[in-house]
Amino acid sequence: MFMMACCNLVDLEIKMKKTTSVVALCTLSLLAGSGSFLAYAQQNPAPRQPMSFFVTSVGMGHGANLGGVAGADAHCQQLAAAVGAGGKTWRAYLSTQARPGQPAINARDRIGTGPWYNAKGEMIARDLAHLHGDTLELARMGNNITKVSDLTEKGAIVPGLTDGANARDREWSYMQEHPESNRHETLTGSTPDGRAFTDNVDHTCGNWTSEAKGNATALRENTGANAQVGMSDRNGGGNGSWNSAHGTSGCSQEDLGRSHGVGLYYCFAIN
Amino acid sequence: MTKKTSRIAIGALSLVLGSGSYLAFAQAPGPQAAAMSFFVTSVGLGKGGDLGGLAGADAHCQQLAAAVGGGAKTWHAYLSTQARPGQPAINARDRIGTGPWYNSKRVPIAKNLSDLNGDTVEEARLGSNLFKQTALNEKGGVVNGFGDMPNMHDMLTGSQPDGRAYTDNADHTCNNWTSSGAGQAQLGHSDRTGGGNTSWNSAHASRSCSQPDLVATGGAGLFYCFAIN
Repeated sequence: MFMMACCNLVDLEIKMKKTTSVVALCTLSLLAGSGSFLAYAQQNPAPRQPMSFFVTSVGMGHGANLGGVAGADAHCQQLAAAVGAGGKTWRAYLSTQARPGQPAINARDRIGTGPWYNAKGEMIARDLAHLHGDTLELARMGNNITKVSDLTEKGAIVPGLTDGANARDREWSYMQEHPESNRHETLTGSTPDGRAFTDNVDHTCGNWTSEAKGNATALRENTGANAQVGMSDRNGGGNGSWNSAHGTSGCSQEDLGRSHGVGLYYCFAIN
Repeated sequence: MTKKTSRIAIGALSLVLGSGSYLAFAQAPGPQAAAMSFFVTSVGLGKGGDLGGLAGADAHCQQLAAAVGGGAKTWHAYLSTQARPGQPAINARDRIGTGPWYNSKRVPIAKNLSDLNGDTVEEARLGSNLFKQTALNEKGGVVNGFGDMPNMHDMLTGSQPDGRAYTDNADHTCNNWTSSGAGQAQLGHSDRTGGGNTSWNSAHASRSCSQPDLVATGGAGLFYCFAIN
């Protein structure tokens, strides 16, 4: 009964706003009805903190070519501005690797010092150490980046593992038309501590300028440039790491899709 | 582990996992796929934090496993008990063998105790392979998590994040799993979601030890079972 009501609401919403994701809204509605969420919200009457963290609601459409870190930052800023959060300075959580004349940049050094809050005012992490688990105790507990908290700038849940499951849910053309399909792979180019890789493999798709195809037709056999990704739903990838689960099949939009990604990434406000 | 070796390990992991979704890899078990040695209880015992002590909880694990053909292994509940006069504390992590452990679909959950409990910063940051889509019950079902109705993700553990018993004077084990009223149990989240962290074994405490209070925060008195052999 509740589900039916929920989905009717979603249908109405869809008519008004084409970009709204059915799955995300349905899940949100269910969450709002869950006892523990209400209890949590009721215990926190403090004024809502402004958003300082989100997952991009859409990718840039050119695989892992984001126009470099500058292009990725601009995308963060643009998405934030579209929902009235353009007053803050936004940075993409992306590392770049050292190149001749260019030192490496660590994602963790780009995003300010926190605390960071999602579009609903829920804290994601208190500080850099909490975000990255810099001590054994912090690392064991983890931060608060989970499927229900790492929302897009619009406050929607990013579809994760088993959402919109379909035989074609690894094809970019299908994923484009089906925003409810799994897209949990989040570009970071980072090691689990939030820093750039220092080996000779390209983990950042040419420092976010390449949309080259991978060099293998079979999954998991690409040995060329790839993008290290985390799991926004903490589900899959062999460990559930939010920022460094594994590499992609290559740098093209099609390659990202093969392992359930569309080129989304995390944005943090530095102020 | 030194920093250098950890980086090499991470690099190797990336190469091994390559570019595909790990689940696709995991869902196609190879010929050496191991038998189930980990599950979440599909049902609780129904009396809140009273499991009949560790022995009662272990028997529940054994019974559920036997019902699906896994009774040849020796099963232990992942539960700690606190020290009492004449009774030393028991750490959950010391009860479950040495791994590796696999779920009912033969997907690896953790390689060893260190991987499971995150004994190094590197391991703890990544986490084990225990999350919503792998922490299955003995029948292969996904356990309801945050956002599902009803949420049943609260797992009884009575343990600290390192898998050991608490050493303070507060009750974290429903009086060593004999109370269905007063007291508290430390809980983990089988979906690693909620409570402001992603801990699988020590996310928050229960309100009390009664069954209704376990249900109230998203639980059903379920717990993790591991085969020690």
